Amino acid sequence: MATVDKDKKAVEEEGPILDETTLKEIESMKGAGQWSIVWRRLKKDTMGMVGLYIVTFLILMAIVSWFLLMYDKWLFNNVALTRDPDNPYSLANLYVDFWLPGMKQSIILFQHPEWQFADQVKLPPSLQHPFGTDKNGRDMFSRVFFGATISMALGFIGQMTTVIIGTILGSLSGYYGGLFDDLLQRIVELLYSMPGFILLVFVIVLFENTNIPGGRYAVVVIFFSLISWGGTALIVRSNFFSLKQQDFVEAEKALGAADMRIIFRHILPNSLAPLIIIITLGIAGTIFTFAALAFYGFGDPNVVSWGDDLNRWQNDLMTYPWMPMFPALMIFFTVLGFNLLGDALRDALDPRLKD
Amino acid sequence: MSLKGYILRRTIYIVPIMLAITLMNFTLINVSPGDPVLVRLGLIKCETPECYNAAYNKEAIEMGLLDNNLYTVPWFERYIDFVNDLLHFDLGKSWSYTQAGEGIPISKIIGDHAVYTVVLNLLSFVLSLLLSTAIGVVSATRQNSFWDRTLTVAMLLGYSMPLFWLAKLLMLVSYYLFNFTGVANKSAFNKPLILNPMFYKFLILPTLSLTLGGLVFMARLIRSQLLEILRQDYITTAKSKGLDRRAVIYKHAFRNGLLPIVTIIGNSLPGLLSGSVMVESVFGWPGLGTIFLEAAFMRDYPMMMATNTIFPFLFLIARLLTDITYVFIDPRIKY
Repeated sequence: MATVDKDKKAVEEEGPILDETTLKEIESMKGAGQWSIVWRRLKKDTMGMVGLYIVTFLILMAIVSWFLLMYDKWLFNNVALTRDPDNPYSLANLYVDFWLPGMKQSIILFQHPEWQFADQVKLPPSLQHPFGTDKNGRDMFSRVFFGATISMALGFIGQMTTVIIGTILGSLSGYYGGLFDDLLQRIVELLYSMPGFILLVFVIVLFENTNIPGGRYAVVVIFFSLISWGGTALIVRSNFFSLKQQDFVEAEKALGAADMRIIFRHILPNSLAPLIIIITLGIAGTIFTFAALAFYGFGDPNVVSWGDDLNRWQNDLMTYPWMPMFPALMIFFTVLGFNLLGDALRDALDPRLKD
Repeated sequence: MSLKGYILRRTIYIVPIMLAITLMNFTLINVSPGDPVLVRLGLIKCETPECYNAAYNKEAIEMGLLDNNLYTVPWFERYIDFVNDLLHFDLGKSWSYTQAGEGIPISKIIGDHAVYTVVLNLLSFVLSLLLSTAIGVVSATRQNSFWDRTLTVAMLLGYSMPLFWLAKLLMLVSYYLFNFTGVANKSAFNKPLILNPMFYKFLILPTLSLTLGGLVFMARLIRSQLLEILRQDYITTAKSKGLDRRAVIYKHAFRNGLLPIVTIIGNSLPGLLSGSVMVESVFGWPGLGTIFLEAAFMRDYPMMMATNTIFPFLFLIARLLTDITYVFIDPRIKY
């Protein structure tokens, strides 16, 4: 009796083992699905939400700029003759402007990224040109805005191709094992003993004149995904090794399901969490890699993208700092956003990994 | 197995990997579109097709693509030739680095420039290892303090900063503060290097950039690794025994956390080499990275082939060394 009293006393003094907020959290999560729990955890992570806002903003920006440029091409083809040569702003060319009653001249928000004004070269940032203009008289703000399309799309496409190749090879080798697995291991080891950036430069230089639709960046994306699927494959493979021992796979096999059905309908959805983390963190890395390639001159100078602008003006950093600074800042914010979001997603999907 | 046997086995294991890598590079060059002879010929001036054909054939024979009877040499024979030359440290002649109309032997170029890469990489590797250990320990032992938060945010910002841009920004800052851009010029490489003060002056900025690049990666890792270990029971035991804080961290926690850290650092070495390519090129540091990028621009195939053999070789050696350090860190590992 005495010990029970003592225990009660201890509980009264120290309170229950779990504090009230934790109990409330457990209560609120009853009956919720996995994804709503993940979303709730993510919402509590301030840094992760900042990352989510940055990423959402950039994706919206990429989509809007893509639509605007599409619309511009349609406009340009049809109404090309309504130019007034005296007024540069009346050219049948994309610009979105901002005008209030009483203002003498409207503020040009976005103009066509390729449009050059000979009287507006090397202007520092001002109200009319928030990011300044470059040496050819192009508005840097518009360049940065319309460059989002290619820069983001390359990151997404590159990373998705990599992950798809890695997932398919990793799941097959993890599920079947044996000779195929051994072979895959050796190939990954081979690819991983080359510094990635060096191998990529090497391959791109060799194959940059290949005639395939999409130009040089298509070559870059193809070889990037052929080189860097190893990490994804290894993670998916180890996941498959642990999952294929589980009871639900045994049950599926006993029911007579085909191998492909077990792999793609049962095991793969169960290893979705690491894949989502790989994609989010990987997009940051991919955007960085493509920007680096463009920075060292292995991009496509005819394309409007942040990396190529950075490459073009990198030597003007000391004299006209705004020219390379803003594309670089955009790359920085994109990589930062995806890193923040990826870290937060990792914590939310797998709380055991949290610090 | 003894340690000696293990080292021997691992050293021999490098041979098939290097063979596979050279075979891969060789095949890639072979299947790539475009005629390398045309690249090599460049802007040759010829009036008649005969003159052009003669020049073409001469070049192709010199490159080993055709034999003396103008028959095509099969690719495997050329590969065997390449490996044979490689074993004799003969990497062929460069196409873009020439002296008096003749290509300079690549082994000479690499021998001249490898020292710069090795100095830069070793220095920044050691520096970033030391600094990231300090930062990791400070962050992990004072979790959620002001310093921890500041350092974590700084590491995150640095982690998202592209390395080449970090180098450029350092250049800009140094230009405004000291009127010194750090772009290397000839005076920095007068021999002997050890006694040349200019060499050290121009070494500062590249080392700083590369150190920061490695640091942000390693400090995050060491912090999370230490945090995990500090939660273990034996740390609580050590603390409750009344041990000194310092002893707990460095004797108990750090030594146990070292193994995974060494593994990941070993795996991050190719990243360090890639980083050194980026930084070297920004500062005009004449190491292997700059040589490689210039060769890639000039489509200097033998040079690219050579650098793509040297870089994996350096990496494999470094990984061998990391694996051997395991034995000294963890007494449980026996071979």
